[in-house]
Amino acid sequence: MRAGSRGMNPAILLLRDWRGGELGVLLAALLLAVSVVVGISAFVNSLQSALISESLRFLAADRVIRSGQSISDEWTARAEVEGLMVAQTLGFPSMAVTESDNLYLASVMAVSSGYPLRGELLSSATPYGEVRSDAGIPKPGEAWLAPRLFALLEAKPGDRVWVGDQALVISGAVRSQPDTASAAFGYGPRLLMNLADIPATGVIQPGSRVTWRLLLAGEADALDAFTQWVTPRLNQGQRLLGVEDSQPSISQTLDRAQGFLLLAGSLGVVLAAAAIALAARRFSERHTDHVAIMKSLGASRQRIARLYGGSLLILGVVATTLGCALGWALQALFFQLFAEQLGVQPGAIGFEPYLIGGATALVCLGFFAWPPLERLAQIPPLRVLRRDVDASDAQRSMDYALGAVSVFALMWWYSGDLKVTGSVVAGLSLTVGAGYFAAQILLRGGRAMGSAAGSVWRLALANLHRRGTANALQMVIFAIAIMLMLVLVMVRGALVDQWQAQLPPGSPNHFMLNITAEERTSLTQFLVERGIESEPQFPMTRGRVMAVNGEELAAADGVQSERRQREANFTYADTLPEANEIIAGEWWDADTDEAQVSLEREFAQRLGANVGDALELRIASESFQARVSSLRESDWQSMKPNFFVIFPKKTLERFPNTFLTSFYLPAEQKALLNELITAFPTVTIIELDIVIAEIRTIIDRVGQAIELVLAVILLAGSLVLIAGVQASVDIRLRESALLRALGAKKSLLLGALLIEFSTLGAFAGLLAVLGAEMAAWALQTQALDLTYQASPWLWPWSILAGVILIGGLGVLSCRKAVVVPPLVVLREL
Amino acid sequence: MPIADGVLEILRGISFEIKQGDTAAIVGVSGSGKSTLLGLLAGLDVASGGDVIIDGQSLAALDEDERAALRAEKVGFVFQSFQLLPALTALENVMLPLELSGNNSALARATGYLERVGLDHRLNHYPSMLSGGEQQRVAIARAFAARPQILFADEPTGNLDKATGDTVIELLFDLNRSEGTTLVLVTHDERLAKRCNQQFVMESGDLEAAH
Repeated sequence: MRAGSRGMNPAILLLRDWRGGELGVLLAALLLAVSVVVGISAFVNSLQSALISESLRFLAADRVIRSGQSISDEWTARAEVEGLMVAQTLGFPSMAVTESDNLYLASVMAVSSGYPLRGELLSSATPYGEVRSDAGIPKPGEAWLAPRLFALLEAKPGDRVWVGDQALVISGAVRSQPDTASAAFGYGPRLLMNLADIPATGVIQPGSRVTWRLLLAGEADALDAFTQWVTPRLNQGQRLLGVEDSQPSISQTLDRAQGFLLLAGSLGVVLAAAAIALAARRFSERHTDHVAIMKSLGASRQRIARLYGGSLLILGVVATTLGCALGWALQALFFQLFAEQLGVQPGAIGFEPYLIGGATALVCLGFFAWPPLERLAQIPPLRVLRRDVDASDAQRSMDYALGAVSVFALMWWYSGDLKVTGSVVAGLSLTVGAGYFAAQILLRGGRAMGSAAGSVWRLALANLHRRGTANALQMVIFAIAIMLMLVLVMVRGALVDQWQAQLPPGSPNHFMLNITAEERTSLTQFLVERGIESEPQFPMTRGRVMAVNGEELAAADGVQSERRQREANFTYADTLPEANEIIAGEWWDADTDEAQVSLEREFAQRLGANVGDALELRIASESFQARVSSLRESDWQSMKPNFFVIFPKKTLERFPNTFLTSFYLPAEQKALLNELITAFPTVTIIELDIVIAEIRTIIDRVGQAIELVLAVILLAGSLVLIAGVQASVDIRLRESALLRALGAKKSLLLGALLIEFSTLGAFAGLLAVLGAEMAAWALQTQALDLTYQASPWLWPWSILAGVILIGGLGVLSCRKAVVVPPLVVLREL
Repeated sequence: MPIADGVLEILRGISFEIKQGDTAAIVGVSGSGKSTLLGLLAGLDVASGGDVIIDGQSLAALDEDERAALRAEKVGFVFQSFQLLPALTALENVMLPLELSGNNSALARATGYLERVGLDHRLNHYPSMLSGGEQQRVAIARAFAARPQILFADEPTGNLDKATGDTVIELLFDLNRSEGTTLVLVTHDERLAKRCNQQFVMESGDLEAAH
């Protein structure tokens, strides 16, 4: 319908403004705010739900009860009554013997039908044959061997293998189990068999070292009900495992990544709010005459407020709808990076991201876009006759203060983390507060310098000085945009560095235990000859903590108390091992004669032991005393050997011990393990290569997602810079046109513009890096649990980036002033 | 107007009456207060004292929105700097006051007035695509399209060359005659002033009838 037949309404106003090209930045800023917020928030939600199911894959179930004794049928029955899926596994080390009497200590796992409840069991007909996931589990009377076990036993499919008294036909190869990492029973290669064959093997006797696992899966309510029922029935040797127990090192990585993503989202909100504020202000400035004319033609204040309020509302609805759709697409794009690798479907997103997106639009519109438009209604109609008449400015600082508070609240809601929000706000306050005053001083100083300089500089610096307050404000906004981008670059750097340090390429992916003192040299030689570098060897002795300060601890079994006797691997060291940090007490001198001990923090907590306490310890049948001289924090993510209990060499040396080491074995040299086992038959090898490879790919994927988010935020930052430059273009254009009309050369005007914007950019860059260092420090040390390092190299880059970005954008935006005839410019403004 | 040293009088002792359908010119040098007086007469501004009565309605008794309503109903403007909205076409500029007053035949009426000012071939042109004279003709069409009882024109030829200015003046008076509108002109153009029934001279805030 033609506009004229219905009278003036907000939709018509909006359409006309859109055609005028002034809504572009406002709409883009609003779209960006909503889509970034929705995209990141939906991605994090989706990732969270996906990772929960992903973690459950590592567990092969939703919950697991691990037990040293067989699990009562009552429990299984109860779980089934609750509507849960149930399966059982039994793990134990056992000698596998072939018809030709080849034997090898295998890690046997017997599984019941239904296994695994989560994730996939991959198998093949021959050791390295085609992998399939639909073969179920070995049938009774059959066994599947790990490909390596085929070689070690010199067996082939169809051969028979004995486990205890039971002969099993080898009917396939087990290629991958979801719960490889969490269900390691002994360290040999896997032999998978049916649980129904266990009684016939006769290997399970009272006191055998076996691990029963009851796998449970189903609806959350049913799981919770069963958990509630079973928890009081668990004894000391039984534990209920959930998601958090499946892969702690991955979950911490992802926690930090989520923290980062939410931080990025919060910064996106601030940037978008700044872009919206700038765009709305420019919009309202350009509409001042428009409104004055409408008022002179008889439009009332309410009419103007309704028109602009309505058109803003329409804009908000359009931007929110489009932004939600874009945000959804953004998270889908993010997720694609993960899905392929993790083999998981995107998880549920829920409504929250869209709610947050809508709230962001509402806050941005209400507190940043509306105030300048609302002021339009106050413009006196007299402005049509006298251009110097304008609306009052008194309200502005109040508007911005309200806006700042609301953005703070939004960031808090969004990140769910007061520390993250607080850190960013602290950095912002530093940039804004100190920056604003510094900016004015610097600009005035610049004016004094400029008087003594050539005409281009004089003109540029005079301009900077004349619009001192406006320039200082603009500089602060530039600084905020650059600062937020820098914060993200810094934190991303710290995060990636830490991940890389945690698992650098070539990190040990195999552990060797039970190395005897006599084997140490020959083993090292064996590895060196094959070009394999191994880590230092750690002595290891199995021992038990019996009493703390003379107070006997309860024996292990049948006691509910946390404080009980603990068995652990003891080691000795003269220097503090890598990936350990003393948090209380002191590390000993290498030549100390005193019987001392250093405990891992959590271990000490469970014992109820502190620095200065006397421990009574037992190794084999010998008891001895040692004083706790320090507590340590160990980095369990380091994939390096870690010990709960460490002694000085002289204290532990006299006890018999074996050694432990780790080494990196590339996948293509995997066959070397067979050679190693043949040469050192008593050595136990733990293969962590699959787990480590999995962790590394996940870290890589998270890294990629972070890069993508960073790019989005940089885009948001650029938009703020563009909006910021645009905000002052009109007045600069007008002045440049006047100067040209007065005969100024293009080179003078361009030079002055370049200097003016570059100076603003340089100061903004300086302020930005100052605030960014502050925020990065707070974020890394207080919120994200990372180590902070100042980035002095970033300072010159930040200033340079300010000069190039703002200088370039400024000249580009104002080039019209020197290209288009001055009269045209003056007529248009 | 209160200032640091006391009170600045911009206009004083002004009293005159313009009858329906009359034409009046206010002339004077720059800074004599012509535009201030025009702003007050049209209700764009309020005087610190005194009153303006349009069609029996006292402006002093009205608040800003009531004055806006009065303008919408009874007042039209033509400005020296045309004051067209750059984002709107010629047609939309003329439609604007009609739309603001909720007129249902805005399109037809606006087209009709643009035809009357000879711009029927320029309906969908933006102001930046029009010459100064054409822009002022659009402004005149806009002013008359709302069929005001009184039209205020502030230096309507101030930004135009003589020939174009003459054309615009002819148009303004022609339309004024045919529509029966009261016309109040502010100008320093003697020729233009002489075409009006009444002339007032503004000098340092004082107004004297010259005719």
